[in-house]
Amino acid sequence: MATTQSPPAYSTRTRVAPGALGRMSRNPASAWRHIDMVLVGSILSVSALGCLMIFSATRGRDPSDFDTSFLLKQGLFVAGGVVAMLVTTLVDYRRYRDLVPVAYLGVLSLLLLVVSGLGSERKGSQAWFALGPFQLQPSELAKVVVIVALASLIAHFNSELDAARLAGALALVGVPMALIMLQPDLGTTLVFVAVSMGMLLIGGAQIRHIVALTLVGVVGVGLVLNSGMLETYQQCRLTSFLEQHNQDCEERDAAYNLDQAKVAIGSGGVTGAGLFEGTQTRLDIVPEQHTDFIFTAVGEELGFVGAGTLLALLSIIAWRIWRTAQLARDPLGTLICIGVLSMFVFQVFENIGMTMGIMPITGIPLPFMSYGGSSTLTAFICMGLVLNVHMRRFT
Amino acid sequence: MNQDSPRLRLSIFGIVVFSLFAALFSRLWYLQVMTNDDFEVVAEANRIREVAVEAPRGRILDRNGTVIVGNRISIQVSVDRSVLRDLEEAERTEVLTQLAGALSRHSINTTVEDLEARIADQRFSPYVPVPVAGRVPEELKIWIDEHAEALPSVSAERVAVREYPYGRLAAHVIGYTGKITKEEHDAKGDAEKPYTLNDEIGKTGIERIYEDDLRGHPGTRQIEVDADGDPVRVVAENAPVPGNDVVLNLDVNVQAVAEQALQEALSRAAERPPSRADLPNVAKVGSTVVLDPNTGAVLAMASAPSFAPSEFVDGISTSEWDYLNDKANFHPLNNWAIQGQYPPGSTFKPFTAVAALQSGLISPATTVNDTGVYEVPSCTGGTCTFRNDGSRAYGPVDLRRSLTVSSDYYYYDLGARFWIEQESFGGPEVFADRLKQWGFHNDTGIDLSSEQDGRIPSPAWLASYCESVECNEDSATWRTGNNVNMAIGQGDVLVTPLQLAVGYAAIGNGGTRYVPHVVKEVRDGVSGEVVSAIEPQASGTVEMDPAWRQAIIEGLIGVTTREGGTARSAFAGFPHETYPVAAKTGTAQAKDEAPTAVFGAFAPAHAPQFAISVLLEESGYGGSVAAPVARRLLDVLSGTVPMPTFNEEGVLTEAPVLVDGGEAID
Repeated sequence: MATTQSPPAYSTRTRVAPGALGRMSRNPASAWRHIDMVLVGSILSVSALGCLMIFSATRGRDPSDFDTSFLLKQGLFVAGGVVAMLVTTLVDYRRYRDLVPVAYLGVLSLLLLVVSGLGSERKGSQAWFALGPFQLQPSELAKVVVIVALASLIAHFNSELDAARLAGALALVGVPMALIMLQPDLGTTLVFVAVSMGMLLIGGAQIRHIVALTLVGVVGVGLVLNSGMLETYQQCRLTSFLEQHNQDCEERDAAYNLDQAKVAIGSGGVTGAGLFEGTQTRLDIVPEQHTDFIFTAVGEELGFVGAGTLLALLSIIAWRIWRTAQLARDPLGTLICIGVLSMFVFQVFENIGMTMGIMPITGIPLPFMSYGGSSTLTAFICMGLVLNVHMRRFT
Repeated sequence: MNQDSPRLRLSIFGIVVFSLFAALFSRLWYLQVMTNDDFEVVAEANRIREVAVEAPRGRILDRNGTVIVGNRISIQVSVDRSVLRDLEEAERTEVLTQLAGALSRHSINTTVEDLEARIADQRFSPYVPVPVAGRVPEELKIWIDEHAEALPSVSAERVAVREYPYGRLAAHVIGYTGKITKEEHDAKGDAEKPYTLNDEIGKTGIERIYEDDLRGHPGTRQIEVDADGDPVRVVAENAPVPGNDVVLNLDVNVQAVAEQALQEALSRAAERPPSRADLPNVAKVGSTVVLDPNTGAVLAMASAPSFAPSEFVDGISTSEWDYLNDKANFHPLNNWAIQGQYPPGSTFKPFTAVAALQSGLISPATTVNDTGVYEVPSCTGGTCTFRNDGSRAYGPVDLRRSLTVSSDYYYYDLGARFWIEQESFGGPEVFADRLKQWGFHNDTGIDLSSEQDGRIPSPAWLASYCESVECNEDSATWRTGNNVNMAIGQGDVLVTPLQLAVGYAAIGNGGTRYVPHVVKEVRDGVSGEVVSAIEPQASGTVEMDPAWRQAIIEGLIGVTTREGGTARSAFAGFPHETYPVAAKTGTAQAKDEAPTAVFGAFAPAHAPQFAISVLLEESGYGGSVAAPVARRLLDVLSGTVPMPTFNEEGVLTEAPVLVDGGEAID
């Protein structure tokens, strides 16, 4: 394949130090040749836009002294996320099967610790570990671990899910989910529901089981809403999008959030107010705008052009994950991709849907856009898994 | 992944994902493209707050440009009732105790009870904080600002308030201002210059009548606010425009002389022995008006008792308000010159004389033998015998002498003949109609509020009156005696002091009745240019043969100059040769009270520059009590006595010297 006259095509790479990266590079059929650049490009574009909008929402009003702390931190989170994504791709995803029991138990212990009182409380939830200037949110890590664990289990069952195996799979998801619900973190709990439904459907669960589970889920949500398990504010947020004004609620906050979010997006129009020019954004009228309501800043300042582009990029990401699920070499790869896709699509739909008043308000971050370390890191690791499956679809 | 095709499930999953994104796109399109306009409006409203910027109120000046009402900045302490109401009982008491203590420390002696009474006062609008103290020192404002946390509901603000350099001077004419009431606010809903519930508005007098001129055009400031409503920056500003200045016909010096002379005359009347021992001279209420007979300009208008408009600045105290509205204090807020209605007594005789001359009942030379006691011819009921004061007989009396000595007999006879001979000149209403030519029975149309109409009775009036009020058979019948009483300004005749002055002005100027005007012109508050000037406005004329007028004027000059003239002693020493004064005294009798002293005059008699009316309730004889007020005014107006001027403290340099009219006859 190489001639003596010209240096071999990959000869320079032989000088790369031994190691995982080196090993793969040396192989002409290396998985690295099959990395999904469309996905990577989309993710990086959305992350960059996220940083920009976080800056717009947090820089404050003093032109001589803009607050850049949120921008810098989020930049750091994205950089860390890219590294974590790369690291995730280094090891063949099939080897994660062997590691997943350890990770699963580790995450369970973290969740137990955080609920048992070691966690710091913020906004009514015990969901964080304080690590110096940063907070670690174990429930975000739990999402990755549960996706891999459930995929491994279903693949192990060879996709033949009878009732007993189904129960096992449900238990695997149910335990961490219950702990997260105790925090309480309703949004992440619902992500788990979406992830397991998606994976069970693709994993071969019988239709009647799925129907039964759905029924149980609906009844369960009804019971939870009426049982008093939820704080009043949670109930109000969940029901405010229905636009029936519940008198019991101090519904003002929830309705205010929603109204101002819709006003911000709606006032953007086709071309938007211009970057940094949105009055709803600049004047702090929309609450939580750099985190859960980041989409309103895009809508107001960049208009339909900008928000539509963002939606398009997010759909491209979804499309590439779905495509990878199809191309995957084995059920494990498919299931991992479907888990990630379920999580991603649910978060996107729920988050953007709530800012536009078609979904209930729950605290779910918009992947790659919302400010936050744990959620950004998790999103990148998940994408690392998908890239991993994609690049190893031939090996 | 066997069973039903896993490929199918994956495709279905893909379709679901696609649908969800499609839903988000649709919703985004709906919000940003289809309903975008609605949201833009809301976003703008979120962002912008509009606040009114108060404009300075126009000033009120006298005819020479002297400022009678100006503006100054006052620091005002207010309590927000709605905030106070929400406090715990103990906390509320603590706040008020603290505030009362702080005010008292700064020499505004206040108790918690005072504050509570003030805050409970229903006259303050429920929508804005109640002012509890004005003119507080800067240190107190600083103290309140520093203790804002401990003093919820209490605030100290700088506000522009009215300033009165001359104190009470012309209080009734200029009126006062106060916080707008809900009703006034609603009535001014579509005013060109919008009001907020915190605005001041003119309540009486010129402040009220010229409200639309005096009020400045409030500016607006559009402020961008953040989510908490805290201001971020000023987006746009519309500067406030000061109100227009109102220039009065009043002269502060003449006004001051009028007020001092009036007050002095009342004090002296109270000291004089009453004509009947059981009817003391109360002498608390009086008024005087000085007009320019050629234009209707009001040069001075005084009413007693009076009030200080400055009491209303920063909100009038409850006790002061109650005092001003207590009947026992003779209603100091009332302008008796236009709101008081009195029988004019003998000052009415010139008008009766003109009516008789017009009707051909007499000529100036007609002589009547005054025997002192008048018997109504063929009397059918009611009073049949009328007497001169003290039944004094004046013998043969012509028109001139009837006025000079004030012969009642002469006018009793005219009154009776108006009734008895009515067929020869047009009927029972003619007497009243001729009297109404002078403007009686209707308001004069002066530019002040609450003016009264007065009354000229007649058979027709009595009939309609007895329809609304129950009259007994005796009082319901118009008899000769009613006309007899009417001829000397008694009975049911009522005039306001202003109407009397207008009537005397008309006699003096040859028969033209002018609408009296307090305001001379309105000037732009910034440039000083005249915006509108009030032109003299005739409201009617009275036909007078020059020979009649000549006789009447001679008779009236006799009042102040001749032997037997009823105001001769009051005008003793006056330069009559160069400055003759035509005048008439009146002493109106009322049941069970001391007589009301009345005086009407114009001077110089043949080309008058001033017409004056004076009226003192329950004070005695017109010649001895009311005439000296006019004398004092004419002393300075004629230049006989130098016009007193104000020193820097706003006090007249010279107290008036009133001549004592002596024991005059009427």
